[in-house]
Amino acid sequence: MITTHTLANGLSVIVEEMPHVESASYDLLIPGGLVCDPEDKVGAGLILGEMIGRGAGPLSSRQLSEAFDDLGIRHGEGVGSDRYAFSGSLVSDSLPRALELVSYMVREPHLAEDEIPNIQSVLLQDIDSLSDNPARRSMVELSKRYYPAPYNRPSLGDAEGIKGTNRATVHGLWQKLFSPRRAILSIAGKVKTAEVLTTVEKFFGDWSGGDVQIPQFGAMPRNDYFHIDSDSSQMQIVFASPSVRFNQEGYYDGKLAVSVLGASMFGRLFVEVREKRGLCYSVYARHGSTNDYGTVTAYVGTTPERAQESIDVLLKELHGLRGTVTEDELERARTNLKASLIMGEESPGARAGSNAQDWWLLQRVRPLSEINAAIDKVTVSSVDTFLASYPFKPCSILTLGKHTLSVPTGLIGEGR
Amino acid sequence: MAIKVYKEVLTNGLTILAESNPANVSAGIGFFVRTGARDETARESGVSHFLEHMLFKGTPTRSALDINLQLGNLGAQANAFTSEENTVYYATVIPEKFKAMQELLSDMMRPALVPEEFSMEKKVILEEIALYRDRPHFYLFENAFKDYFGGHPAGNSVLGSDESVSAVTRDEMKAYFDRRYSPSNIVLAASGNFSIDDFLRDARALCGTWTDFEVGRDVSRHESKEVYREFRRKNLSHSHAVLLAKGASAQDEERYSLSILSNILGDSSGSKMYWDLVDKGLADSASFDSDERDGTGCLMVYVSTSPSKLDEVVKIAKAIVNRPLDFSDADLERAKAKIVSRIVLDGELPMGRLMSLGLEWNYRRTTTPLSETIAKVRSISRNDIERALEKFPMTDWSEYRLLPE
Repeated sequence: MITTHTLANGLSVIVEEMPHVESASYDLLIPGGLVCDPEDKVGAGLILGEMIGRGAGPLSSRQLSEAFDDLGIRHGEGVGSDRYAFSGSLVSDSLPRALELVSYMVREPHLAEDEIPNIQSVLLQDIDSLSDNPARRSMVELSKRYYPAPYNRPSLGDAEGIKGTNRATVHGLWQKLFSPRRAILSIAGKVKTAEVLTTVEKFFGDWSGGDVQIPQFGAMPRNDYFHIDSDSSQMQIVFASPSVRFNQEGYYDGKLAVSVLGASMFGRLFVEVREKRGLCYSVYARHGSTNDYGTVTAYVGTTPERAQESIDVLLKELHGLRGTVTEDELERARTNLKASLIMGEESPGARAGSNAQDWWLLQRVRPLSEINAAIDKVTVSSVDTFLASYPFKPCSILTLGKHTLSVPTGLIGEGR
Repeated sequence: MAIKVYKEVLTNGLTILAESNPANVSAGIGFFVRTGARDETARESGVSHFLEHMLFKGTPTRSALDINLQLGNLGAQANAFTSEENTVYYATVIPEKFKAMQELLSDMMRPALVPEEFSMEKKVILEEIALYRDRPHFYLFENAFKDYFGGHPAGNSVLGSDESVSAVTRDEMKAYFDRRYSPSNIVLAASGNFSIDDFLRDARALCGTWTDFEVGRDVSRHESKEVYREFRRKNLSHSHAVLLAKGASAQDEERYSLSILSNILGDSSGSKMYWDLVDKGLADSASFDSDERDGTGCLMVYVSTSPSKLDEVVKIAKAIVNRPLDFSDADLERAKAKIVSRIVLDGELPMGRLMSLGLEWNYRRTTTPLSETIAKVRSISRNDIERALEKFPMTDWSEYRLLPE
């Protein structure tokens, strides 16, 4: 049973009772994230995200950490492109204490100045270590070039921005962004709704704050082919192209089309690039959407001498999808998506997360039957209609490795 | 929470474990083969992992594509992994698809090893080796273990090398299969929402005809040693160090005490290493683990930091492991709470339970209900940890560093 509630201060609360499990999970989303960092201090949000866990309310940094650990609460505090996110999984008896600790972090973080140098040091090391993971680095580099500012900001921040952040920057961000007005608290697991609401009211009821404005998503930059020289064993090839937005008609057409193409094991890329030609270990395509944009991302990692063939096959499959999707392929993609939704039903963490995400995008939580109905509506012909609108071109391509590749003309061009 | 584990051993030696829970909405199934890199000869290095890939590449009645498409048709979340000691094939499906998944996975366990597929998949494996070559810490782990275990097979590489994988033939792989994939060396386990009667009946029919033969493994303990080695690589932005000492095996009773100690000293958050190294901004990663293997084991410190800080970071990490009993009763209770919570949360999902059922059987030929494991963790006292340290005193450290050229 899922119920939704809005506190007087604007905080949206979603509770899903899952009587068949023993645990519970929470997800708190607060609009903000890296897009709200000052332009010359990209990464300040990451410092804030770290500092929140280092002392809050009546608890010192160590006491706060120990308070979570005493109850074995598995928790994480993260900073995304457009949000601050707090999540945790726990044995359900511990939920009230967990919410109390989260309320300290959100509402009364100490933001102690002497923590900043230590945090900066670790964040700068994270940026350095990106070169030790070429697959991840190539995705970060493509996002920088593919998305419009400030949505193109690297998830690890930038070194100058991190170095330039001081306590005033961090405190200012916290004061401006940490408000219940558009925040979402989602809870799922072995819980009783009435008890959860009483607890939430106790710890978050008198939290106050104004409306928070997130920067508008602007026009996409021009698509292009980018190359970064790297003396690595493998060449990284990443691809991005516009797709349907989450709140648009045809969202599931896009999602299933990309699954036909890019799913592990049965997708066309896996079969054509890996299984039939042995060109790579890792190849995939993914569909990601928000209300502002949709993106098809594809990836293949291969040794330099086989990179040209790999990109040729990758592009051929991407651009050869329209008009060739079979009923069998669509059914397989549909079965997989539905199975993963059903299997997600037994994990409180997955439920809390997907309920929060629904609310973030739709201001409501969709029942599984509604999602299934939308998935069932997809036909081979509606997939083709989607592919006519989103032919996976123009696209941007980035390669990271020993040499450049030849990319057919006519694929890159003005963004949409 | 008290769910019974059913066990049956077929006449050919295949062990079947089943833990059914109608409250789950999915079911997990897996074959756990007690074989891995440590069971390979030098010439065969990497063949266990290569063979794992080949099980997806066709059977006498299915082509590689048939397998891929059927996995898709079943909506299965399926995968496999190979370690030094185990090769595991597993899938999660919705209950209606369990029977078909069991049939498919059982068929995959008798691979055709088609020569054309073998040649094609060899290229995929070489790409996988190249992928890990670009991850420096992985390179350090491989080389540190190889050196530390000396000639002991526990130090064998899972992926193998370009040379060994290129050289291995289809017939050598078949010979390895014929030496290791005996039903008496395999556990079939299932967990979640499925019918135990149907599962057992189908397992007898699908796997009962597999021929049994004897399989062995060298489970001697490795010789402890204290060495210092440096590895150098070009274009390295980060430095890494691994410290290894003798530790408990997967069968030693001390494993409980040492895993609690490793949580106190080196968990990813809230541990001594976290507070002294990561919280202070000295290292971006610092951990201490008990790596329990079949008949042997080691304790491992891992740190990662910028090259200029490595000396200082290693010195602090060593100071922590040199005073292992320097913790409070509250530290001990907190570590136990963290471990118990992980056991409960992981045990709630069919896949989490499946993995502990299958792997526990491969190591200890037994099954333990969750509640018993939890009680055991809760019972560990400071005295138990002191006693474990008498047997594994953490004084015999070998140190391996990866530094820029």
